[in-house]
Amino acid sequence: MSKDIFVFIECKEGSIRKTSFELLSKGKELAEKLSSELYAVLLGFDTKSLIDEIKPFAHKILSVDTELLKDYRWDTYTDAMEYLIKKYSPYLVLGASTITGKDLFPRLAARLDAPIVSDAIGIEVTDGEIKIKKPIYGGKIISWVTTQNTPISIVTFRPNSFSIVKGDTAAEVIDERLEISMDSRINTNRIDKGGSKKVDLQEADFIICGGRGMKGPENFNILEEIAEILGGRVGASRAVVDSKWRDYEDQVGKSGKTVSPKLYIGCGVSGALHHTMGMDTSKVIVAVNKDPNALIFQYADYGIVDDLFNILPALKDGLKNLKQEA
Amino acid sequence: MNILVFIKQVADTEARILIKGDNRSLEIENKYNLNFFDEFAVEEAIRFKGKVKDSKISVCTYGGKKAVEALRTAIAMGADQAYLIDNTDLDTDDPLITAKILAGFAKKEGFDLILCGRQAIDDENGNIGAMVAEFLKIPHVTAITKLDVVDEKKIIVENDIEGGKETKEVQLPALLTTQKGINEPRVPLITGVMKAMKANIPVIDPVTLGLAKESLDRNASKIKILSYETPKGRPPVKIIDGETPEEKVKKLIKLLREEAKVL
Ligand SMILES: Cc1cc2nc3c(=O)[nH]c(=O)nc-3n(C[C@H](O)[C@H](O)[C@H](O)COP(=O)(O)OP(=O)(O)OC[C@H]3O[C@@H](n4cnc5c(N)ncnc54)[C@H](O)[C@@H]3O)c2cc1C
Ligand SMILES: Nc1ncnc2c1ncn2[C@@H]1O[C@H](COP(=O)(O)O)[C@@H](O)[C@H]1O
Repeated sequence: MSKDIFVFIECKEGSIRKTSFELLSKGKELAEKLSSELYAVLLGFDTKSLIDEIKPFAHKILSVDTELLKDYRWDTYTDAMEYLIKKYSPYLVLGASTITGKDLFPRLAARLDAPIVSDAIGIEVTDGEIKIKKPIYGGKIISWVTTQNTPISIVTFRPNSFSIVKGDTAAEVIDERLEISMDSRINTNRIDKGGSKKVDLQEADFIICGGRGMKGPENFNILEEIAEILGGRVGASRAVVDSKWRDYEDQVGKSGKTVSPKLYIGCGVSGALHHTMGMDTSKVIVAVNKDPNALIFQYADYGIVDDLFNILPALKDGLKNLKQEA
Repeated sequence: MNILVFIKQVADTEARILIKGDNRSLEIENKYNLNFFDEFAVEEAIRFKGKVKDSKISVCTYGGKKAVEALRTAIAMGADQAYLIDNTDLDTDDPLITAKILAGFAKKEGFDLILCGRQAIDDENGNIGAMVAEFLKIPHVTAITKLDVVDEKKIIVENDIEGGKETKEVQLPALLTTQKGINEPRVPLITGVMKAMKANIPVIDPVTLGLAKESLDRNASKIKILSYETPKGRPPVKIIDGETPEEKVKKLIKLLREEAKVL
C-alpha cells in the first residue's frame, strides 16, 4: 500500500499561499519518515509560473491547468481531486483549514468515504500510525486522534501550524488532463474582492488587535501603521466589529477567525474567553491594557499596564527605528 | 416547501470541561446550548418561511436524549416540527457517520432547502454541511451571509470567500451553512416557549434510516480519539515596568527581539 502524501496547493490572487509551503514542508518531513513520495497538487489556470516555486519542496507535482479551474468551486475541484486521488491512491491528503479548505475537503471526504480531521495543528507518524493534534472546545482541550478502517485520510491544518523549510529537490512535473464540467445548479454572479490586497488575517505572522479600549474607528489608523511596519494585519474584537468600527473579516475569536501568528499584540482588549479562544495558540502574546486585572494578562507572555494612547505612538516609533536599522 | 434545519446541542463556552482519569473521555459541566452558528440557521429558516408560502420548518438533531432541549429552543423560536435521532450507545467521533445519518433522515423526510450552522463549537469541524450535501448529491454553499429568494426553484446567496464575498445563484434543493452576520437570531417569546414545552418530538432510531447498525458504531468509525490533554499553559505574564511609555516600549521591543525572538 502506498504511503504517498498529497499536499493541496492553494493559490490566492495568482500566487501560492504561504500556508501551502508550510504544508509542503511538513509533508516532506513525513514522506521522508515513511520512505514515500510527496506530491504537490496544483489545480488552476495558467499556473506555469508557480511550478518552479514548488519544485524544491516536493518530489512530484501534479498539475491540472485548465480555465475551468481558474476560480475555486467545490464542484470542479472535488471532481479533479477525486480523479487524482483515485489514480495515485495517496495515504494522506493535507490541506489548509482556510475558507477554501473548509469548503472543499468535507465534500471530498464524503465523496471518497474517507475520514477527515479538520482544523488540526500538528501531526506525527510513528510505526505507521498517524497521530493528529487538534484543539477542541475553543482550545480548552487538545485531542489526539488517529484514523482507522481506511486506506486514505484527509487532514486540514490551521495556517501557521508549521514552519517553512525549503528543500533541495527538483520535483518532476506531471501534467494531468481530465474531463471537468461545472455543476449547472450553481452560478457565480459576482465576486467582490473587498480586502484582497491585505495579508490574510489567518496567515499573518503579526497581528495587532484593537478592542473597545481603542475608543473609536479613527484610532485604528495607528494600528494600521504598526501592522504595515511589521508586514502584518490589524485584527479586532467583537465589541469593535459590533460597533462597526471595523469589518467582520477582521474579527478574532470564537465567532470570528482563529489565528495563530508569531506575534499577537492586543490593545484595549479585555481578553474575554470568546476572544482568547481565537488567539491563544499565537506563539507570543503581548497585551496593552490600563487595567492590571484585565483577563488578557492571563494569556499574555508580556504585558504593559498603561494607557494605550501613550504606548502606541512610542511603539510605532520604536518599531520604525528597528526596521530602519535592519 | 420543506425546510430542514440540522442543529446540534453543544457545551456552553463557559462550561467547565475536565479530562477523566483514562485520558480518553471528558467530563462536561451540565451547561448546554443550541450551537452558536445553528441559531442563525434556525432564524434564517423562519425568515425564509416568511417569504415563501406553504413552507414548513423541521429541525432535527442526532444526539442524546438531552438534545431535545436544543430542539425545543428551535421550536420556541418558530420551527414547526422537531425530530430527535437517538444516538444512545452509538456515540461516534466520525463526522462521516453523522452526515450519513442526517442525509438518510433528509431522504426520508423530503426537503427543498437544508440549513446547517457553519461549524459546531465543540468539535470545531465544519464538516457536516458539505458532507450531507455530497451524500444527497445536491449543491452546497458554506458560510453564507445573505439569502434571497428568487422563486420556489432558485435562491441567491452571498458567502465569504478568500479575500472577499461572492454572490451565487443556486437551484433548489440545496444545502447552506450559516455564518455570523446573516441575521440577528430572535429571542423566543413566552408563547413560543409554551408551544415548545408542549411539542411532541418523535424519537427516531437511526437504524430506520437505511443504515445498518454495525455501520454506525465506534468500530465502524474511521476516526478514533487516542487521548485528550490540557493545553500547555503559558508561563505567568511578564509585566513590563518603566517610568515612561517610551521606556516600557523599549524594554518590550528588546524582549521581543532577544528573548522571544519574534522581531
Ligand atoms: C456567543 C458569543 C460569541 C462571541 N464571539 C466573540 C469573538 O469571536 N471575538 C471577540 O472578540 N469577542 C467575542 N464575543 C464577545 C466577548 O465575550 C467580549 O464581549 C468581547 O471580546 C469584548 O471586547 P473588548 O475586549 O474589545 O471590549 P471590553 O471587554 O469592553 O474591553 C475593553 C478593554 O479595554 C481596556 N481599555 C479601555 N481604555 C483603555 C485605554 N485607554 N488604554 C488601555 N486599555 C484600555 C479596558 O481596561 C478593557 O479591558 C462573543 C460573545 C458571545 C456571547
Ligand atoms: N449531531 C448533529 N445533529 C444535527 N446536526 C448536526 C450534528 N452535528 C453537526 N450538525 C450540523 O452541522 C453543522 C456543522 O457541524 P460540525 O461539522 O460538527 O462542525 C452544525 O452547525 C450543525 O448545523
